[in-house]
Amino acid sequence: MYIIGISCYYHDASAALLKDGIIVAAAQEERFTRKKHDTGFPINSIRYCLSSQNITIKDIEYIGFYEKPFIKFERVLFQHLEMFPLSLKTFLSSIPSWINEKLRVVRVIRKKLGYRKDILFIEHHMAHAASSFLISPFEKAAILTTDGVGEWTTTTYGIGKKNKIHLMKEIKFPNSLGLLYSTITAYLGFSVNNSEYKVMGLSAHGTMDRKSNPYYEKLKKVIDIKEDGSYRLNMDYFVYHYKDRMPSQKLCELLNGQIRKSESDVEQRHKDIAAALQLILEDVMTKMLNYIYKITKQENIVLSGGVALNSVYNGKILKNTKFKKVWIHPDPGDGGTSIGVASYIYHTILGKKRNFVLSNPYLGPKFSEEEIKKILDKNKIKYSDFKDEKELIKKTAKLIYDNNVIGWFQEGMEWGPRALGARSILSNPCNPKMQEILNLKVKHREKFRPFAPVVCEEDALKYFDCDNPVPEATDFMLMVYPIKKKYHKKIPAVTHVDGSGRLQTIRKFQNQLYYNLIKEFGKLSGIPILINTSFNIRGEPIICSPYDAYKCMMGTGIDYLVMNKFLIKREDNLRDAWDSEKYAHD
Amino acid sequence: MISKFLYGIKEGFKSFGENIAITVNSLLLSIVYFIGVGTTSLFARILKKRFLDTKISKQSKTYWQNLNLKKKKFEEYYRQF
Repeated sequence: MYIIGISCYYHDASAALLKDGIIVAAAQEERFTRKKHDTGFPINSIRYCLSSQNITIKDIEYIGFYEKPFIKFERVLFQHLEMFPLSLKTFLSSIPSWINEKLRVVRVIRKKLGYRKDILFIEHHMAHAASSFLISPFEKAAILTTDGVGEWTTTTYGIGKKNKIHLMKEIKFPNSLGLLYSTITAYLGFSVNNSEYKVMGLSAHGTMDRKSNPYYEKLKKVIDIKEDGSYRLNMDYFVYHYKDRMPSQKLCELLNGQIRKSESDVEQRHKDIAAALQLILEDVMTKMLNYIYKITKQENIVLSGGVALNSVYNGKILKNTKFKKVWIHPDPGDGGTSIGVASYIYHTILGKKRNFVLSNPYLGPKFSEEEIKKILDKNKIKYSDFKDEKELIKKTAKLIYDNNVIGWFQEGMEWGPRALGARSILSNPCNPKMQEILNLKVKHREKFRPFAPVVCEEDALKYFDCDNPVPEATDFMLMVYPIKKKYHKKIPAVTHVDGSGRLQTIRKFQNQLYYNLIKEFGKLSGIPILINTSFNIRGEPIICSPYDAYKCMMGTGIDYLVMNKFLIKREDNLRDAWDSEKYAHD
Repeated sequence: MISKFLYGIKEGFKSFGENIAITVNSLLLSIVYFIGVGTTSLFARILKKRFLDTKISKQSKTYWQNLNLKKKKFEEYYRQF
């Protein structure tokens, strides 16, 4: 039985295909359309899902949608009723899209896909909960979902047992931890629903101490936090419920200054505000999780919703709470809900036993040797090929060791926002200048942002102060842990200012080639760790196809591209070179 | 040359049509906003009805609200509300 899950029209549209309870394909629409966080109907993702299994839409038994659109529309109308006449501008800009597509989901699905069977709708936070619990390794677990907003709900907790989920309590819009984080992101001059992770990275540069941070007590005025972790926002400090921006003038006054312009310098004040926000988020999450532990009496916790992308806090969960194990979906944000709704239909609504754990994130398009060769030849790209896998690993490891920047294109494209060794840029973490080289040659990103390390799972505890055993969520680059002090100077390019690293662990069964490459680099350098950063130009989604990879290399300073068994040297193809920085945006 | 000219005219008309649509939509939606939303909102204010829960209560011990969301009857999942 095939089921398709769809998520779209808010941010990060995606589709996932379930075959007899197993996720066989999933992809975000942005990777095909090349529009970052594309919200549109995920027609390309659906086409990919179908073609990956050689099936047509007629083979699909159910299509699931990740929210109840009419309940969400009710919330939008209630916002306007509450805020009349201040919300006129947002009313005029948002209502047409509701009338044209968001309230016509059934019609759109039937028309665009030619689909005639059942379409089911589940609540947004149930889709989040299902995306984290039903494909987790746990039979039983407590569940926490925290995001910007679904229909009305912004936070829920509950419990999952076998194939059932019970969401017990909720917090409703406009009170939202996700929207609080987004508001400060906007205040700090970064883009909302995109750059929250930059604020998280910036926080380590600020004063991460509750007593000495000058903005911690100030920022606490915007949120009333109860002992059980429930919270309510003081809406005097926000305008997102009726305007197309988020911080109010009162918030600017509270934080001693106007909204930072995106091109202006990041000052110590901004760093301290980011740190204060991170501290408050951690206060709320710790209180909430301890309360949920008390209520559910479960040793396992699964998290979902955009707030679960806060890897800095995720790495502290097991230390700060009584939970023994944690699992987080590779894409805990809205993109992941397509898997959630498909799994919920199969396991919970249809009552089928759980038979799948998501441990391998390579669910996207995969290209064969022949397909890649055809593309290279067609575009007259100069390349050489490796004799075998052994040569590929040895030569690539040596290139990295010699401080070259490598574009790495193997396996199926990763599911979720992180590059995990299928569409990655790899380089040498032991070179103190590598952060600068990567920024200069490729990423052109803010200096305060760290690069991430990847390490084989069995080596993680040697170099990092991880939880033991290392949680599976670390495989998806969702946990930040301290790097052991004696290695700070040995891997300077991945050691953040606070001595931490947002590491990815890799297990051999997930991606053998990637795993062997790291080990081989370890033989040369003495440190089996690589820098792994996403294979994209700033402001664009991670690459999907072989041609995207080539184009990205030629627009940046990536030295080599290792694609399947082919090696492409940038210098050999300079006729196609161009400057991506001219087109880069936030 | 002619095809370029015709293409230009076509694009011009398209843009003109889009602008007309935006103007008409905005006008109609403004009427809906002031008459529909405005009237309801004013009545609600007279009756002290609030649509968003924004009240901060230092006395209450929790802001958690009951949800109790579980598996429902199959037919419920066809509904978009």
